[in-house]
Amino acid sequence: MRFAVKENLAQLFFSGAAVLSGAATLLILGFMILLSLPVLESGLLMNILTDPWSPGHGQFGILAMIVGTLYIAGLSLLIGFPISLGCSFFIQITSPHGPGKLLKKLVQFMTAIPTVIYGFVGVFLLVPVVRQVFSYGSGMSILTASLMLGILICPTMILFFSQSFARVPKNFLLAADALGGTPFQKLIYVIIPHAWPGLLTGLILGFGRAMGDTLIALMISGNSVMLPSSILDSARTLTAHIAMIIAADFDSIEFKTIFICGSVLYLLTSCGILAARILDRRQQG
Amino acid sequence: MKKPFFDRLLVAFSWGCALLLISAVSIIIGFLVVKGYKTINLDLIFADTRPLDGLLLKRQVFGGLFPAIIGTLSLILLAISFAMPVGIASGIYLSEYAPANQKWFFSLMVDILAGIPSIVVGLFGFSITIFLHHFFSNRIFPCLLISALSLAFLVLPYIVKTTQTAMESLPFQVRLTAPALGATRLENIIFVLLPTALSDIVSGLVLAIGRCAEDTAVIMLTGVVATAGIPKSIFSNFEALPFYIYYIASEYSDPSELMKGYGAALILLLICSGLFCIAHWIKNTIDQKQRFSY
Amino acid sequence: MKKIIVLAIILLQAGFCLASGLDAFKEEKGILRISGGTAHIPVMKEVAKRIMTFNPDIQIIIAGGGSGAGIKQVGEGLVNIGNSGRQATETEVKKYGLALYKWAIDGVAAVVNPHNPVKKLTNKQLQDIYAGRISNWKNLGGDDRAINIYTRDASSGTRAVFWKKALKKGEIIGRANFVASNGAMKSAVVNNPYAIGYISVGYVDSTVMQVTLDGVTPTLETVRTGQYKVARGLFSNTKGSAKGIAKKFIDYLLSPDGQAIAAQKGFIPVK
Repeated sequence: MRFAVKENLAQLFFSGAAVLSGAATLLILGFMILLSLPVLESGLLMNILTDPWSPGHGQFGILAMIVGTLYIAGLSLLIGFPISLGCSFFIQITSPHGPGKLLKKLVQFMTAIPTVIYGFVGVFLLVPVVRQVFSYGSGMSILTASLMLGILICPTMILFFSQSFARVPKNFLLAADALGGTPFQKLIYVIIPHAWPGLLTGLILGFGRAMGDTLIALMISGNSVMLPSSILDSARTLTAHIAMIIAADFDSIEFKTIFICGSVLYLLTSCGILAARILDRRQQG
Repeated sequence: MKKPFFDRLLVAFSWGCALLLISAVSIIIGFLVVKGYKTINLDLIFADTRPLDGLLLKRQVFGGLFPAIIGTLSLILLAISFAMPVGIASGIYLSEYAPANQKWFFSLMVDILAGIPSIVVGLFGFSITIFLHHFFSNRIFPCLLISALSLAFLVLPYIVKTTQTAMESLPFQVRLTAPALGATRLENIIFVLLPTALSDIVSGLVLAIGRCAEDTAVIMLTGVVATAGIPKSIFSNFEALPFYIYYIASEYSDPSELMKGYGAALILLLICSGLFCIAHWIKNTIDQKQRFSY
Repeated sequence: MKKIIVLAIILLQAGFCLASGLDAFKEEKGILRISGGTAHIPVMKEVAKRIMTFNPDIQIIIAGGGSGAGIKQVGEGLVNIGNSGRQATETEVKKYGLALYKWAIDGVAAVVNPHNPVKKLTNKQLQDIYAGRISNWKNLGGDDRAINIYTRDASSGTRAVFWKKALKKGEIIGRANFVASNGAMKSAVVNNPYAIGYISVGYVDSTVMQVTLDGVTPTLETVRTGQYKVARGLFSNTKGSAKGIAKKFIDYLLSPDGQAIAAQKGFIPVK
């Protein structure tokens, strides 16, 4: 009898913890939306999503920040994706033994490097280089931030890519070997057709990571509020915008818009996660 | 026989990418080491206070990294002590108790939580503080406790996931032995499954600690400041290493302050890579022991 | 003879320490939160260091955020002292019931990198630069490089003063880079040979070059005499008149010692 009580209590405790973890997710969403409500109700949402940011003129649009976020995250994906693909080929296909294992260790280690370190090195090493090489602007630009972010998101993608390569059934690979397939043919005809949902998932997660990062963008993208027109322009991301506006007057529209930023970020990343899950299920069959 | 062209291309491409990544990481770390190794000494941490006095909290340390290091440590301690019980318990529930539909829902929630940008978590912590300040007690401010709680939300999904995966990947023999001998579900979990999965769970925890040590965006919004000294209670503001690095990068007023920034960056890098190595070591040594015991 | 002088100096210093305005903090205990204007920070830090060394039971927390944030946060009761580099507006004073304490005078100087040959501008040129009408240093006699404009966010008192008195409320182009504090503005200009920004005169040193505006170089002297017009007071504000440690802190700022710190950090004392 006492056993049963103990068992039930334990189950209650475990399930309570799970409910708490699940509730945290919804609570954050709830808070973001609740605090966005004043803006949503005032009917200013469209203005906020499309206007420029110019508090002096009573315009509090976050379009430039949304574009800046997508621009920087997109470009960093463009930089990080090929490198990650190459590295996961290296780890899983071309040198799976000695060097591949070493590279995998390094990539795992990279996940432990603090983002603020990327930002710090960005400010003092990359920014002056970009300024000198392109002799345009302050060196704080979309390109600078994307270069650093491109490196930052590599581990996420590489680990995911190699995992999904490893999931390709062994007998398929052996069959390809038996037919005399070269590694390249194996890659094109067996591995990629099998692993593409994993590749896409890795891409989505990498994009989410790039979009959600605050420090690198805040430190080296220049934070200007204009719609960027070239990769050498400086830009502000939604995350950096939140970090910069947090000190404003709580009653001001300025301050209230950061919850719109928060909601947008939340929704974008959770859509990504949903898509990633669906794809993941697909690969696992 | 010469390798076909595309295969050589593949090899060249993969080597190229690997070398590119390795050199990028080496440049980043090398830059910090070359510029910063000279600053690593006791002065960096204690400035003009005698180290022993600082350590024993007899005197406040001004201008050294000591308060930031203490701030980061207390932050880690608090955040992990919130996140660990909840995280491990949720992981156990998801792997051992939850029916399929609940499992689907909760792991989706955990995945989403893991994907939320840390600044949004910080914004959440900040707005809760303001909310409490207005409607509950005007003595609630952004502080160490709020930061730690927000950080706990940030690392919670990591702990849940590693626990869940660790438990789920246990082989059937391990799962069934104890119940066959008459153990209850709870006994099986506590005496068999958890200890067997411990290595994975602990290494997950250590990585979560690393995340607490490095995160800047959350604490920036929830109570970290540039100058606070050693936090006197969990309700006071605090300094932290990653924020100090960010602050110096944008605000340094003279070369000596900048050098402290390099020093702080190196120390943080050392702490984080140390934690990483510990996690790795735990995983490897315990795994090996277990392999022998079967 | 030498010994006597040394002794005298030691005695003098000891006497100085004893008689310092710090005695008021003797029996105090607790936390004092300060935030807001970033120009104030060096002075705040020094005063805090002295007080906390004298009495370790007091913890003084200093955050930035800008003048706007300082005024709002003290008004909302989030901090005990909110600093501002501009006078709080009448609405702000009324809304929050603020008490204003002005403890120094400061100028706001346009600054460029010391390597930049352009060291003199007219007011009109400065406005044109910030509005984006002049976008290359070449047009001002410098290198053929784009002008990198740095500005602060709306919460900044330095920005408010610079915008009103130097730019005559002219446009600031959206392309400008945004930084969060006086310190950040200074290091941005130090690191970028083609930058122009504006900082508190207290922050000007040999690593940046202040721009001579309409023939007047912003220095302590020209600000003091009123020749350089882009000047402002440095304020510490409290909600209602200052009480407790906050009052003693502000009293110390206004004491001879506090004023000496302000002068040493490059501001003009009010007393």
